[in-house]
Amino acid sequence: MSQTSKSTSWARTEVLADGTALVTLGGVWSLHEELPDIIVKGDKVRVRAEDLGGFDSSLPSWLYGNFKNIRHIDLAALPPRLQALVQLAEKASVNESPSADINVLERFGNWGVDSSSSWSRAFDHIGNTALGFIRSVFGRAKVNWSDLPLQLQTAGVDALPIVALLGFLTGLIMAYVGLIQLRQLGATVYVANLVSLAMTREMGALMTGIIACGRTSTSFASQLGSMNLSQETDALRALGLNPIEYLAIPRIIAVTLMIPLLSLFATFIGVLGGMVVACAGDLSVEQYLTQVILAITFKSFLVGFIKSIAFGFIAAWAGCYRGSVAHRSALGVGEAATSAAVLGITLIVIADAIFAVLFNLFKF
Amino acid sequence: MSTKEDILVSENLSIGHGSKAIMDRINFRLTAGKILAVVGPSGCGKSTLMRALSGLDEPLAGKSMLMGVDLALADQALREATLRRLGFLFQGAALFSSLTLRENVEMPMREFLRAPKREIRQLAEYKLALVGLADAMEKLPSEISGGMMKRAGIARAMALDPEIIFLDEPSAGLDPVTSGRIDELILKLRESFGTTIVLVSHEVPSILRTADFCVYLDPDTGTMSAYAPPRDFLRPDFTPKAHAFFTQACLT
Repeated sequence: MSQTSKSTSWARTEVLADGTALVTLGGVWSLHEELPDIIVKGDKVRVRAEDLGGFDSSLPSWLYGNFKNIRHIDLAALPPRLQALVQLAEKASVNESPSADINVLERFGNWGVDSSSSWSRAFDHIGNTALGFIRSVFGRAKVNWSDLPLQLQTAGVDALPIVALLGFLTGLIMAYVGLIQLRQLGATVYVANLVSLAMTREMGALMTGIIACGRTSTSFASQLGSMNLSQETDALRALGLNPIEYLAIPRIIAVTLMIPLLSLFATFIGVLGGMVVACAGDLSVEQYLTQVILAITFKSFLVGFIKSIAFGFIAAWAGCYRGSVAHRSALGVGEAATSAAVLGITLIVIADAIFAVLFNLFKF
Repeated sequence: MSTKEDILVSENLSIGHGSKAIMDRINFRLTAGKILAVVGPSGCGKSTLMRALSGLDEPLAGKSMLMGVDLALADQALREATLRRLGFLFQGAALFSSLTLRENVEMPMREFLRAPKREIRQLAEYKLALVGLADAMEKLPSEISGGMMKRAGIARAMALDPEIIFLDEPSAGLDPVTSGRIDELILKLRESFGTTIVLVSHEVPSILRTADFCVYLDPDTGTMSAYAPPRDFLRPDFTPKAHAFFTQACLT
């Protein structure tokens, strides 16, 4: 028995001669008070009230929770309005609620199924994107071209300040590190070669790609995820429009066009950043620029340019993909934005490594 | 002057969006334990009135007193304490999309009750069972129908046994059986806990079954043109537009 005092809720159980469990309850039942615990054995229960004070929904919920699985429950001795509140819940519920608990093996299995379906969704999206491109080239896809100028501006022009800042700092840091090392060999003049080559072939494209993942991929994932959440993408489907073609293609084209330009800009600014450090140290401006012109070839520009096109495509695709498969919840949209940035950066680094091997293989 | 029993008072209330009034001179008093239905054509400001009455939006002019408190003038602590004593079902249910139905109902309980986890879970299960969602409580809002979302919204609005519940179109999108069950639930809540209920509805049979009073908002005059028991709206000598609205709705 868990009777404590007259004012707080209490309940006690006893077993009658015919095996029926008799539950007696009383006191004042409130949501703001702790409710009594009881253990009832058997499948026949009779409930009665004794000195029952006021009650709120804590009492019918306690009765419903404790006795919903009892086969024969007799509430006839309870006040009618209390009986009605319990019966209303019983009448409305048809089945038992499914258990939320799953074991480790099931979790592992679910993880495996989720992972494989996630990969298949990704390949599906790549395929649909490629198909969308082909269809749009032949004018058979419904693409929201009016979105393109806005996307060009947000992915390109609006990114200029951050690209300038990070490009400048990248060039500056490389020159600083290079200067310290090359000074030991008496070859400080080659700091210009180091900075200009690294910026044109590698860092310009890589930094711009990573910035695109941070600001554009996440933005696309949030936009498309929110549209998914509010069923806007379903509305497009219902209108006979393919959301990948209509929404993703203009975004991917905009970013794939703008990232190479931003990359060139970052390269130029990075070389300037290197010049600031080099000229503050051992080199004159003329020496630095002469070395830069000697070091940079059309081929190195081309390498950076090709990479930046690929990085732009990856950043945009990652955002569109994660947004389109985002779970329909506020949390899902947030997760889509985070995973778009992570996926984009990971794929860019992997692609950069593949480019390094390929360019080395073909002596490019 | 509002009496102690007047749980909701509207005095020359003017409501609208931004600074543009869409309805003004709204006057009525509702005693505790009564059910009030707000009716009127679509877009006349029923939901806006509910938001103003419940303190979610400030009225453009006039006064609304909720449980004796003028929320527009109350300090933050009193305002929050008063808001905790009411429940609100939004038109789109406004469930938290990343939480299951059970977690949605548990959320206010976790915040404001000191009950153990098991008890809170039990309470949430009971509230969901009351609206017929006992077998869907582990589902996310994105996995259920609009009608089920409405019912889960009602369960969440009832979470803390509020003294007054505002229901914005509780029966919209529900089948007649479920709609009837919601009516039954509304009546039981009033009968068992003395809960006051303010609801926006277009379902005249449901209003006739449940409501004690009805407010009719007339978009042509921009004011409340009737405040009476719903049966009075069916009288031929009643305010013509309000009568026409009711009879038309009954016919359809």
